[in-house]
Amino acid sequence: MKYLKQSWQRRTLIVMCISVLVSVCMIALENTQWADHINQVGYSHGAEEQGPAEGGKRNMPSYMMYILPFVKEIVLIGVPLLITIGWLKLAGLVKTLMKRIRPS
Amino acid sequence: MSDWKQSLQKTRYVMDGLLLISFMIISAPQATGVPLHEWLSIVFIIPFAIHILLHWDWFKQSFRRLFGKLPAKERFNIVWNYLLYLMMILGFVSGFLVSVALLPALNIDLHIQDFWSKIHHDSCTLLMPMLGVHLALHWGWIAKLTKRMFAKEVSS
Repeated sequence: MKYLKQSWQRRTLIVMCISVLVSVCMIALENTQWADHINQVGYSHGAEEQGPAEGGKRNMPSYMMYILPFVKEIVLIGVPLLITIGWLKLAGLVKTLMKRIRPS
Repeated sequence: MSDWKQSLQKTRYVMDGLLLISFMIISAPQATGVPLHEWLSIVFIIPFAIHILLHWDWFKQSFRRLFGKLPAKERFNIVWNYLLYLMMILGFVSGFLVSVALLPALNIDLHIQDFWSKIHHDSCTLLMPMLGVHLALHWGWIAKLTKRMFAKEVSS
């Protein structure tokens, strides 16, 4: 942890100052017309995810309630991860082939 | 793996692993419950700050490098990391502003706007694919360090 301790107070202060500054700028978003529009139209977090079953509760085993959010995360992180790795490998392959065809 | 604190690369690897695990835990409020999600999000600031501190040299150089001559992948990586940081901050800020357990526990009364609820939901959902791309851009380093960490474990 010696790398972390190296003048960590000064560095943390800089990170905190920048983050607070950025946060204050972001809070100003609530004064925009965009924010007004969303507030007028309304937004209910999670309402669209409620199932059609009685009382809005879905018929699923209780342990699935703990597993499904992590499955969703793995899919949301994993799919772009795999696509990007595939894209980078393909780009590397094309670059190598181009070099072989047209050596400079 | 016992000497991981002596190597910057290994320290980064362990701390980044902890950051990923803690991110996954706080990104599942349906599993942890909203009050725990909010308190853990405060604790998450620590591994997030450690991640930035351990990559301090990169941050110092990246802004300068952005305006120089760079390969497209490197330029994309720098811009993507900045966007990821901004999205993370947006997730934090909107999370505070829609807090139903943390701020009331601290005797701070705040009117929750639908705007911030939507921003919090959308920004945090967007963070996950962004993180996937971020991991992919550093996949070579992750694979190399995983091999090094595992090799050390076997030999000791």
